[in-house]
Amino acid sequence: MIINRLMRLALLAGALCFSNVLYAQVKGLIQIRAVQGDNTLSFQEGGIGLYRHDTKSDELILSQGILDFNVDLASSWSAHGVLNANQDPDVGLGFTQAFVKYQPLSNSNYKWHVRVGGFYPLMSLENPDIGWTSPYNYTNSAINSWIGEEVRTVGAEVTIKRPAKRFNSRHSFSFVGATFKGNDPAGTLLAWRGFALHDRQTTFNESVQFAPVAALNEYELRWQANQVLPFEEVDGRFGYYAGIHWDYLKQSQFRIYYYDNNGDPNTVNYSSGQYAWNTRFTSAAWLYKFNSKTRFIAQALNGKTEMGSNALIDNAFYSHYLMLSHKEGKHRVSVRYDYFKVTDNDTTAFDPNASNGEGLTATWRYQLTNKLQIGVEGSALKSAAKNREPIGFNERISQQQIMLNAQWRF
Amino acid sequence: MIKSLLCVFLLSVSTGVFAANITIKNANNDPLPNAVVWLTAGGPSSVIPPEAPYAMTQQNREFKPRILVVPQNAKVEFPNADSIMHHVYSFSKAKTFELKLYKEHPKAPITFDQTGVVELGCNIHDWMLGYIVVVDSTIFAITDENGHVDLNTNAGEYTLSVWHSGFSDISKIESQTITVATNPITYKVKQEIAEQIDFATDEFDDY
Repeated sequence: MIINRLMRLALLAGALCFSNVLYAQVKGLIQIRAVQGDNTLSFQEGGIGLYRHDTKSDELILSQGILDFNVDLASSWSAHGVLNANQDPDVGLGFTQAFVKYQPLSNSNYKWHVRVGGFYPLMSLENPDIGWTSPYNYTNSAINSWIGEEVRTVGAEVTIKRPAKRFNSRHSFSFVGATFKGNDPAGTLLAWRGFALHDRQTTFNESVQFAPVAALNEYELRWQANQVLPFEEVDGRFGYYAGIHWDYLKQSQFRIYYYDNNGDPNTVNYSSGQYAWNTRFTSAAWLYKFNSKTRFIAQALNGKTEMGSNALIDNAFYSHYLMLSHKEGKHRVSVRYDYFKVTDNDTTAFDPNASNGEGLTATWRYQLTNKLQIGVEGSALKSAAKNREPIGFNERISQQQIMLNAQWRF
Repeated sequence: MIKSLLCVFLLSVSTGVFAANITIKNANNDPLPNAVVWLTAGGPSSVIPPEAPYAMTQQNREFKPRILVVPQNAKVEFPNADSIMHHVYSFSKAKTFELKLYKEHPKAPITFDQTGVVELGCNIHDWMLGYIVVVDSTIFAITDENGHVDLNTNAGEYTLSVWHSGFSDISKIESQTITVATNPITYKVKQEIAEQIDFATDEFDDY
């Protein structure tokens, strides 16, 4: 409902644009990928694999198809939209972001803006490129793979900023607060699949599949679907988040957020098979530029989620990554280590949710021209999950994948 | 080259035209770079700005130049060399305006008809800070790293004005009466100069 309204708002913004000949900036990214995938079936296909791809993907696929709109509505108003085309697991088109921004010109040294609509909370320092993609690795960290698939704000966010330059200071601070609807099922994938490593962002109208874990056959979980509709509103309650950005000369950038979807774990949407999960977490991210060429990025995420009555499911989750990226002329090399873990804190014996794993991802990108870039990435990950054995798999698996990417920007 | 030789020749034959050799120092007696210096003669000002517009470019998310000095009534255009939009604005008394600027859609130049300091910002990239200093003179320059300028003018009495972006109140211009002759001139600014802080930004810092 909210999402439909959002789309209408975006369309209205578009119509306004054409009727008043306001300026619109449209940018795009087409990225084609060839993958030597792992033979463990991907979660996208209902498997236990933690990559986006598997051997079924050993062909050319459209890994990113992004259109990014930025329409000037008035002096302080603009409309933004990101439209994503995907072919895996199914061919589809949808928005990952659609919001209106109000950023008034102000004579004050403090600046502020508001975003209303559907957007990402800006927790990540890994995804500053077009359409929330990463300019570093092709495969996102475990943290941002999860944020890209299950965390999105459909609501309103206010940012108040103290820009360093305006105070002749070395330090900038931003204070961010938001309230939102939807995003109640966030946490589902962490419980039944665990963290994953991929760059497949969920559009507002999509669901994400996971392996048919045995626990879903139990009476207590009979209403739960074998997929998550992560942005659905289930309990009618508002969630919120708050964050602080602290920049030192733009050389060091630190962001800390606390997010709570305020889900009522006792509520379920019987028709869509989605529960409200009470998911809350803290994310801390840090970027440090050693010089203009070399940077270090790290992020840690720590949280809890609860679903069902009497703490039927009660999990804690934690992940961090460390990344080093170096740019030399037209080359960029990025190496990242990921660690992730879900701890099962409930007494529901038929539904084991504990999982953990670590991954190593190395990426080389080469800028052929302003618009064309090619790159290669190798990734290895090992993981363990307690719910694999009951459906006939090993608890522990190792996976590897190599991919070639060619991207074109316009 | 020929032009500059010609200039030197003309300067040397025309009597009374000097390159007034001026050095600006800070309160600690160190040379002050990036100070705007201009000379105004007594009597009513008759500044005729050039017909061609000056340019304040936005490039790599910075204003280029950071400080632009223009004579009163000069036109300034704001070309955007970046592929992203800039939203340039000023709330300064000398000129209040806002421009949404795209590379593909250049806007008409703006005429700066009031003297004073115009502080420029970008509503999207809040680290961007630039200045247009509008002066009632055509004899102006910005000091080099040795705090030095040469201003070509006739010998005589002038008001020397100095401005620096490090002044805590950027609307406070310092002035002093000087006599331009063969002697070099040194001026020591009275106000404290705040250190200029540089930010190493790149294309991913918008986010």
